[in-house]
Amino acid sequence: MAKNNNKPYIDRVHSWGRISSVTALCALLMFPVAICLYLDVSPDIKFILQGLLKLIPTYWTVAVVEVLVYTPMLGAGGTYLSFVTGNIANLKLPCAINAMEGAKVKANSEEGEVISTIAIATSSIVTTAVLAIGIIAFAPFLDSFTNSPLLQPAFKMVLPALFGALGAGYFIKHWRISFFPIIVMVATLLIPGMGGTGASTLLFIGIVASVGGALAMHKLGWLDNVKE
Amino acid sequence: MDGTFNNGSLGLYLIAGAVILFVLAQSVFFLVKAWKQGKKLGLDKSKLRNAVTSSALFTIPSALSVLATVIALAPALGLVIPWVRLSVIGNLMYETTAAEAAMEAFGHEGGIANAVTDPTVYAGIAWVMTLGICFSLIILPFLAKPLHKKFMAASNKEKPAEDTPADGKKKRTIGEFINKFATPAIFIGLIGAFIARAIAGQGSTKTPEELDGAGVLSVCTLAVAVIFSIVLELIVKKLKLTWLEPFIMPIGMIVAMIAAIVLYNVLPNGIALIEWRG
Repeated sequence: MAKNNNKPYIDRVHSWGRISSVTALCALLMFPVAICLYLDVSPDIKFILQGLLKLIPTYWTVAVVEVLVYTPMLGAGGTYLSFVTGNIANLKLPCAINAMEGAKVKANSEEGEVISTIAIATSSIVTTAVLAIGIIAFAPFLDSFTNSPLLQPAFKMVLPALFGALGAGYFIKHWRISFFPIIVMVATLLIPGMGGTGASTLLFIGIVASVGGALAMHKLGWLDNVKE
Repeated sequence: MDGTFNNGSLGLYLIAGAVILFVLAQSVFFLVKAWKQGKKLGLDKSKLRNAVTSSALFTIPSALSVLATVIALAPALGLVIPWVRLSVIGNLMYETTAAEAAMEAFGHEGGIANAVTDPTVYAGIAWVMTLGICFSLIILPFLAKPLHKKFMAASNKEKPAEDTPADGKKKRTIGEFINKFATPAIFIGLIGAFIARAIAGQGSTKTPEELDGAGVLSVCTLAVAVIFSIVLELIVKKLKLTWLEPFIMPIGMIVAMIAAIVLYNVLPNGIALIEWRG
C-alpha cells in the first residue's frame, strides 16, 4: 500500500480503474450466471449467439469508438467509472462537462480530473439511488407516472432539452466552431436514407467535422482572437 | 423448473441488488479519492461541493428518464434485468434494442410488449443483453491509460504562446490547437449530434411512435433550452450571481421540459405532433 501511495495520483487512478473494470466485468457476467443457477436453467448457446450476432457489429464497434472518443474528455477516473455505470453520452459526459465548466477547470488538468471524477461518481450514485427508490418504492405508481399523458412530452423531449441547455454555454463561448459541425450533421440526416442515423454514428461524424473544421479555422487564423 | 416463473422474486432482486451495490461501492470509492485529491490540490471546498450538488441536480431528470426505460422494459422482463442493465454500463438508447434482438433470437413473440414467461428464455435474454454491452469493459483496461497519457502529453506539449516570429507571421501549431480548441470541438461535435437529431432526425420506421422524430416540439424544446440557458447565463454574469452558475444547465433543461409539456397542451390541432421526417 505504501508503495502505491508514492505513485502520482493519476497512476493510482489508472491502477484502481483497471481493477474496478475487471471486477465490474466479473460482477456483470455473474449476473446471468446467477440467474441460470437460481432458475436452474441453461439457455441454448445457439440462440444466445444468434442474438449477439445482431448486436456485436454495432455495439462492439461503438464500444471501441466510445473508448477512443470519451477517454480524453472524461479524465482517467471519470472514464473508468463512466464505462462501468453507463449512460455516458446522455448523462455522465454532459454532467462532467457541466461540473468542469462550473468549477472553471480544464479537462486536461489535474483539477479537471478531480472535478470530472466527483461529478461522474455523484451522478452514478444519484442515478443508482433514483433507480433503486423508483423501483422499490415507486414501482406501483411509476407506470401511470411515466405514461401520464401530461408528462409524456417532457420524457420524450429529454434529449433536446438536455443537449440544448448543455450546448448553450458552448455556443456562447465557441460560436465560431459550432456552426460547421451542426450544419454537417443536419445535412447528413437530410441525405435520403440517412434520416434515421443513430446518435452514436452521428456523433462520430460530428466530432470529425467539428475537430476538422476547428483545425482548419485555427490554421486560417480565424480563431486567433478567441480567448480560452 | 418449468412453465411460468416469477420474474420479480426476492431471489432475483437479491442477485440484482448485489451487482448494483458492488457498482455503487466503486462510485463511492472514486468519489472519496477524488475529493481527498481535490483538497490536496488546494481546490476550494465550495468548488468541490458545487460539483457534487450541481451534478446531483443535473442527474435527477435524466435518471428519471432512465427509470422510464426500466419501466418500458418491465412488461416483458420484469424489473430485475432492466434495473441491472440500466445501472451497469447500460444506456438509454441500447437496452431496448438489445432486449428486442435477444427476444427475437429466442423466438419470443410480441417483443417487449409481451411478458417473457419461460425462465430459459429469460436467462438467455440476460446473457445476450450482458454480453452485447460488456465489450468496453474488456478493452478499457488496455486502452484507457495509454490514450489518456497520450492526450495529456499532447495537451501539455505546447502551451499557447504569443509567438510572433521574426517574419511577423503568427505560428499556429497543432499543440496550440489541441490545448485551446480540441476539447471544445469534440464536445461540440458530441452535443451537435443530438441537436442535429432534434432538428432533422427521423423517428423509428419499424414502430411508428409519436414524438420520436424531429418536429415542432423537438425544435421548440431545443430552442427554449438554448435561449433560456443563454439568457440565464448572461443574467448570471451581469448580476455576478456566481453561485447560480453551476445550475444554469440543469435549470435550462428542466425549463425546456416544462415548455414541452406546455406547448404540447397549448398548441392547437396537433401542431405539436408534426414531425417533418416521420
